[in-house]
Amino acid sequence: MKLSEMSSSLGYTAVQDQFQDRDIQHGYTSDLLSDVMANAAEGSVLITIQAHKNAVAVASMAGIAAIVICNSRPIPDDMLETARSECIAVFTTPKNQFTVSAEVYNRLQAE
Amino acid sequence: MPWFRADLHLHSCLSPCGDLECSPSAIAVTAKQRGLDLVALADHNSALNCPAFAEACRREGVAALYGIEATSREEVHLLCLFATVEQALDAGELFYRALADVQNIPAKLGDQVYVDVDENILGAVEKHLVGALDYSVDEICEAVNSRGGLFIPAHIDRSVNSMGSQLGFLPHAPYAAVEVTRSPCPLDTHDYTRICNSDAHFLDDIAMRWFAYEAETVSFAALRDALAAKRVRLSIES
Repeated sequence: MKLSEMSSSLGYTAVQDQFQDRDIQHGYTSDLLSDVMANAAEGSVLITIQAHKNAVAVASMAGIAAIVICNSRPIPDDMLETARSECIAVFTTPKNQFTVSAEVYNRLQAE
Repeated sequence: MPWFRADLHLHSCLSPCGDLECSPSAIAVTAKQRGLDLVALADHNSALNCPAFAEACRREGVAALYGIEATSREEVHLLCLFATVEQALDAGELFYRALADVQNIPAKLGDQVYVDVDENILGAVEKHLVGALDYSVDEICEAVNSRGGLFIPAHIDRSVNSMGSQLGFLPHAPYAAVEVTRSPCPLDTHDYTRICNSDAHFLDDIAMRWFAYEAETVSFAALRDALAAKRVRLSIES
């Protein structure tokens, strides 16, 4: 799945769309960022409610390609600015982590 | 210059996880007995026991700071310490407004009472205090530093509610120091001054860990200077 399909196919809103439209093969769902850093696969989509710039810092260190913020959690501007400078895509959705995980998983499995 | 012994992370009966025996006056008496020169009260997300703590410490002749252990949106615990009760109460009001609106159930979650210096209960806090504030680490840092306080990430090496557990690293920010519980600290503390405190929730645990700082006086300003100059010794390293 191309990153852009997170919007075009799954319907999540891209709030930071300055990213390279790379191919995604993994997803990781966690709200504990130390866990993300330790266990997320390189190039994953991170599904979380942690909407702050430290989430981007962890994503950057772990090689995360995109972050999906669930439950329509408000996203501060400094998070988007940091994500833009790191070329990490940020999407938002009113859906929860369980639903988004299932949707992303099914989409990746279908390939 | 003399060295002063400090334990700047103490909980009282206001913290639901704190022992009811931990009244501000009992804490002051115990701190005096254990030879501490400077103590700070830092209950979870509230400073409402600080007025009684100030009076109790005056009675015992122990110098005091007034604080809050704030929980950020990242669920990281952060020590916010002030020179005056008024500053602490002001920050406490700001934080309480931003605290998740979950009512405390004392039977299940513990009591959250604030008292006077003679241990009379003045009231109970309604919202559960061990929740997260709707403020990021950076926003809490700004709130503390703009009020002239000391901003110190708490127990950064612990497995819960710490920079280490929540983020996995220590971001750069204007910290007065960072609090560790072990030596060597498994997390990279960069060039920040390290201190250790007891984080006591029971009287028995007061001064279980402490640090000493070298200064002309025991005052807040002298402590700030000593932290900046790294004139500190940690009990866990001696």
